[in-house]
Amino acid sequence: MKEIVVIIGGGIAGLEAATQLLKLGHSPIIVEKSERLGGHVADWNRLFPDLTPAKDIVEELIASSKDANIFLKTEISFINRLKDSYNVMLSNGISISTRYILYTTGFKLFDAQKKEEYGYGIYNQVITNADLEQWFNTGKDKRISGKEISKIGFVHCVGSRDEKARNSQCSKVCCITAIKQAIEMKEKFPDAEIYCFYMDLRLFGKKFEDFYIKAQRDYGIHFIRGRVSEVSENIDGRVIVKAEDTLAGKPLKVTLDLLVLMSGMVCNPESTKAASMLSLPIDSDGFLQSCDNVFHITSSPRKGVYYAGACTGPKTVPETLAEARSAVLEIHSDITNQKK
Amino acid sequence: MREIYLSGYNNFVLPFMFGMIFVLSWCVIGALRIIIQLPGEDRKKFFLSLINPKIMARNVRDWFCDCLFHVKLWKRNKLLGYMHSSIAFGWFMIIVIGHIEVFLYTPQRVHQIWYPIFFRYFVAVTESTMKGSFFFFLMDFFLLVVLSGIILAIIKRVRSRLFGMRRTTRASITDLIGLYSLWSIFPLRLLAEGFTADISGGSFLTISLNNVLHSFLSDQMNMLPTWWAYSIALGIFMCILPFSRYMHIPAEILLIPMRNAGIKVTHARKGIAKLQVHSCPGCGVCIDACPMSAVKANIKDTTVYLNRQIKRYNESRIEEISDKCLLCGKCTAVCPVGVEGDKMRIAQRSIRKYNLAPSYANIDENLLIERCNKFASASNKNVSSGNNQKVIYFAGCMTALTPAISRSTTSILRKAGISYEIMDKDGGICCGRPMMMAGRLAQAEEMIAKNTAIIKASGADILLLSCPICYKIFKEKYDLEGIEIVHHTEYFDRLINEGRLSVNEGSQRYVYHDPCELGRGCGIYDQPRNVVKAMGELVEAGKSGKESICCGGSLGSLTLSFDRRKALTENALNNLTIASPDTIITACPLCRSTFNRYADRPVRDIAEMLDEATMKRKR
Repeated sequence: MKEIVVIIGGGIAGLEAATQLLKLGHSPIIVEKSERLGGHVADWNRLFPDLTPAKDIVEELIASSKDANIFLKTEISFINRLKDSYNVMLSNGISISTRYILYTTGFKLFDAQKKEEYGYGIYNQVITNADLEQWFNTGKDKRISGKEISKIGFVHCVGSRDEKARNSQCSKVCCITAIKQAIEMKEKFPDAEIYCFYMDLRLFGKKFEDFYIKAQRDYGIHFIRGRVSEVSENIDGRVIVKAEDTLAGKPLKVTLDLLVLMSGMVCNPESTKAASMLSLPIDSDGFLQSCDNVFHITSSPRKGVYYAGACTGPKTVPETLAEARSAVLEIHSDITNQKK
Repeated sequence: MREIYLSGYNNFVLPFMFGMIFVLSWCVIGALRIIIQLPGEDRKKFFLSLINPKIMARNVRDWFCDCLFHVKLWKRNKLLGYMHSSIAFGWFMIIVIGHIEVFLYTPQRVHQIWYPIFFRYFVAVTESTMKGSFFFFLMDFFLLVVLSGIILAIIKRVRSRLFGMRRTTRASITDLIGLYSLWSIFPLRLLAEGFTADISGGSFLTISLNNVLHSFLSDQMNMLPTWWAYSIALGIFMCILPFSRYMHIPAEILLIPMRNAGIKVTHARKGIAKLQVHSCPGCGVCIDACPMSAVKANIKDTTVYLNRQIKRYNESRIEEISDKCLLCGKCTAVCPVGVEGDKMRIAQRSIRKYNLAPSYANIDENLLIERCNKFASASNKNVSSGNNQKVIYFAGCMTALTPAISRSTTSILRKAGISYEIMDKDGGICCGRPMMMAGRLAQAEEMIAKNTAIIKASGADILLLSCPICYKIFKEKYDLEGIEIVHHTEYFDRLINEGRLSVNEGSQRYVYHDPCELGRGCGIYDQPRNVVKAMGELVEAGKSGKESICCGGSLGSLTLSFDRRKALTENALNNLTIASPDTIITACPLCRSTFNRYADRPVRDIAEMLDEATMKRKR
């Protein structure tokens, strides 16, 4: 008999897990609360460091997992714990009995309005990384299109590594995303001056460092070490950014046509809600807590409940995909052990 | 009355006399030291106040209301008020009537200090007392009042909640000795007077006791030991008094005229600060009031413990407590004797020596003067003259981090047709209050001087502020003659009253949070509430106004780390949302940012709300 696995969340982790489970002969069920699959990656335009179109990855994942049972616009109403299985009740009235639940509930993008000093939602020329990706995708954004753009700024670590924003964790991907977006903007506006305001650059991944050097050498992007202190607006609607250049040891003031805030990854309240149904532990950063952070990242303390992707903390796309496969392998070996 | 003993003396008065002489000399020397420590100007002010009939009348009123009747405690809790005033006033009356008795019946004994205290031992009753129906009755009555107070005090040790106090001070060892000796004085007096009630007379209490416990009390062998015990209890209490919280009894007598003379804390340990420390009765009202008490570990950092550590010269703890405080001023607001916990801490911070001192000398205020002198240049045609007020708006650093507030404020000014100039649009100089709070007064003065020059050169009539932190220092420390200093809440209230703004009333429920610096700091409570009422329904928080709870984000604390403030903010939010409002309104950019971090509902500044609720004025 085919083993049913309930996957909560239809982002790339959920889709990849479903693909692998199908390959191993199991029967995955994806429960997705929104009306489409692909999660945050589906909103993105291109992915670092090879500028792979995000659409290609999402489409490939959707195609390979199409045989799974997929419920869109569906939420988990409640989960009952039975003797050695779980009874998952969905908002569409369907109840599923399963021995395995995989949380791929992902993250939430930090609400940049909470860092009010950066002026998102107050000043017209302040946008977020997600807004910029959307503009790359659709080309529709009054704040960018049809404007003369000669100076652009990127603020790193918006809502990450920031106790005042209640998030002390590093979001991992924003440094490289900022570099990627800076390069893309430079390609679109070759005459523009581009500034990146960073605390420190965490370029840990394969080819990230090359990408950074390319940005400086080939694209002439300015990297300024120092956090932005405040943003204001001048009469003609441009934004004035005050920061400190901590390498030069001087305060700095630049007037920009566009300011992009690199909103970080924060815990998803939906994820916390789903975790509370099984009283799963929540870590101090708000993300779900794995059994341990070295050997059992995909395991929860409950039998048959697994995690994959950014629900346990900020992750890159390749890390998320790898975790989804690893979680599936754990589930698969557990199923085969049970049958013996 | 007839005297029994010719000498009018017995050895048992010795413990009392010893204690009395000790405590009197201690207090006199202490008072002189404090007066000498005062800065010359303050000392002069103090002496002059003593011959000013108006201030003297206030002193007498305060002595009665505060020292004897404990009016402030009555307002807090009836039972707590009764407990304190019954002991204080009752004891005072026993002493007064005791002296009257001596004056009336045995005037030749007036010079013997112990005579009024042990009067009944030395005299026998005659017809002159009208069978004890008046003075003896009064003496017994007030003894009963004191005893009832002591019974309540004993109950309070066990169940302080009955007295409206969640937490009380942990008594130190000297406090306990003082406490137990105080408790034993009055029952012992009753017992001692019970012995002599059949000889020296008495009233309903003493005579009844004499009758009830006749077998014990008629045994003359028991009599002298009881009078000894009474005298020893008095002696112990008076000897321990300077080292216990009961020092507040004599200290407060001096504190009241000093306060009424207008003397301010200048040095952390000398003069009036020292007097305030000794005036602390250790009642612990400040413990429940302190916003930091939301976390149990912080209880020992409240003002009552600061005073105790200062008395013990425990320097490391004094520094720790002084630096940790949020300076919300609530302990000062609730203190029944007027210990100024916030000012003492600032004074303490100011005596610290720093190796480095920032200088602001290189800031060129002339640039800012040029930028802000819109109203000064007469040639400027854009400025409408006439009765229109010229406003210079100082947004401040905190508002620079919350641009929505400054935006709404200027938008409202435009709607009301006010001509204004923003003083720190492109960067300004800090008002100086944060440095003041850190105790770095010289640095604050530097900034004050520069800002004063800019404002005076602007030619404006009104200085408008949206940050209460700035507002407080502008009101208190700036000398801006001819320029009115207003907080935006006051100004909005005025604009609405003058009909310059028309406000659409909505159906939302709002709670208003009193920022520490605006409410307790500057006494602005009604104007913001008027503005809120114009926009919708105003509900009140559990504790508001003078007792509003600090948001926890205060600049006052130098050491409280971010994560340790969370519980304080959550506690303050719970208090605000008691009446389940839709929106929390405040008038301080710092409170707003702090609350916004943890609130489950929108937290807005009054300016943002008003900007949304107003339409352009019809002309």
